[in-house]
Amino acid sequence: MIIIEKEVTVRNRAGLHTRPAASLVKLSSRFDSEIFLIRDGFMINGKSIIGVMTLAAENGCVLTIRAEGDDAEAAVNEIADLFEQGFGEI
Amino acid sequence: MRQIDDLKPMVQEKIPVEMLLNSPVKLVKLTNETGLENFITDKNLHRPQLALAGYVGLFTFQRVQIFGNTETLYLKSLSRIARIKALQKICQFKIPCVILTNSNTLDQELIDIFVAAGIAVFMTEYDTTKAFSMLSDFLDDQFSPQLVVHGSFVDIYGVGCLFVGRSGIGKSEIALDLIERGHRLVADDVVMLTSKKESLLMGTGTSLVQHFMEIRGLGIIDIRQMFGIRSIRFQKRLEIVVELEDWDDKETYTRTGLDEKSINIMGIEVSKVKLPIFSGKNITVIAEVIAVNYLLRTYGYDASQVFSDKLNERIRKKSGPKKYFEDKRIIPYFKDLE
Repeated sequence: MIIIEKEVTVRNRAGLHTRPAASLVKLSSRFDSEIFLIRDGFMINGKSIIGVMTLAAENGCVLTIRAEGDDAEAAVNEIADLFEQGFGEI
Repeated sequence: MRQIDDLKPMVQEKIPVEMLLNSPVKLVKLTNETGLENFITDKNLHRPQLALAGYVGLFTFQRVQIFGNTETLYLKSLSRIARIKALQKICQFKIPCVILTNSNTLDQELIDIFVAAGIAVFMTEYDTTKAFSMLSDFLDDQFSPQLVVHGSFVDIYGVGCLFVGRSGIGKSEIALDLIERGHRLVADDVVMLTSKKESLLMGTGTSLVQHFMEIRGLGIIDIRQMFGIRSIRFQKRLEIVVELEDWDDKETYTRTGLDEKSINIMGIEVSKVKLPIFSGKNITVIAEVIAVNYLLRTYGYDASQVFSDKLNERIRKKSGPKKYFEDKRIIPYFKDLE
């Protein structure tokens, strides 16, 4: 099993609010790998919208994306891209 | 699927002294803001009797120091010089804070020694024994390891059942169905498990999510608003982990229930049931049965064991199945004919 981790920064001004959280979860659910998001040791399932929103990630905060599974690399890269583009909000 | 037993718990290694102000012992600050940012690294408490008497070997200075009546009276019994010396001696150590019980106070010049050393001093009206146990509980809670689990946690007939399984297998739907049947939701999706006194696990939700829930295709709903206060609870002891899985022909599922499985979470053993899912199977009813069966076992009745004993008895008597033909239907067959 492949495990990949990558750090990302929340770039959109409003932070990881409901809409970005939904697009993140939609994207993670497309992969077979298990996706986790980690903030300050608090690790949640990246395919759960409630979980993602629990991070209450504000603009500028750093999260770790972790993927475990065969398509882990693609998953981490695509999710990181989504963060990089600020969920289409910048 | 990531198993619960290989998740890493969060352990608080230190807490600021300021946190003690949230404890139920109603602390009064005697040194204003001094030392509030010190860290407590040990959940145990210490009464520094020997240290005050001058012996500081093995002095567990990193603990919260409790000055009970003994310590306060002892200090009073000393001459002024000896008193100051005694305090200066213990203040050489990096003590996080000092708590005076029984509403005892110290002279201002003694308090000043603590202030100079950057040590916070508090007072409480509780007696030493009571303050000791309250603070121990509080610190034990603050330092207890916690685990964030992806699952649904429901109280079924008073039994705390945690449903885990891959995303989309239907954990939330089972929880919703159980709530409809009068059971109580503790948390959905993000469940915080806290180890209590290294002997049991308490499950709660998070302060943000509380009893909100996501149902796929529907969106976010609020269980408390929809089903009322009796459909929720804030915390519950974890007793059974129900692992939901897609039906696998090759996997062997328990048929008798004689070999009880368990899972180790943060060093605590919890019963585990592996439940295969396929369409047409009513998981909610099975979940209720799991809970009731657990209750029966807890109260000393193990159905699989009772049945197995009955069978062994029959085998011992070598009566075989011909006995069933001899049992006449007119006699109620739940009556024990043997």
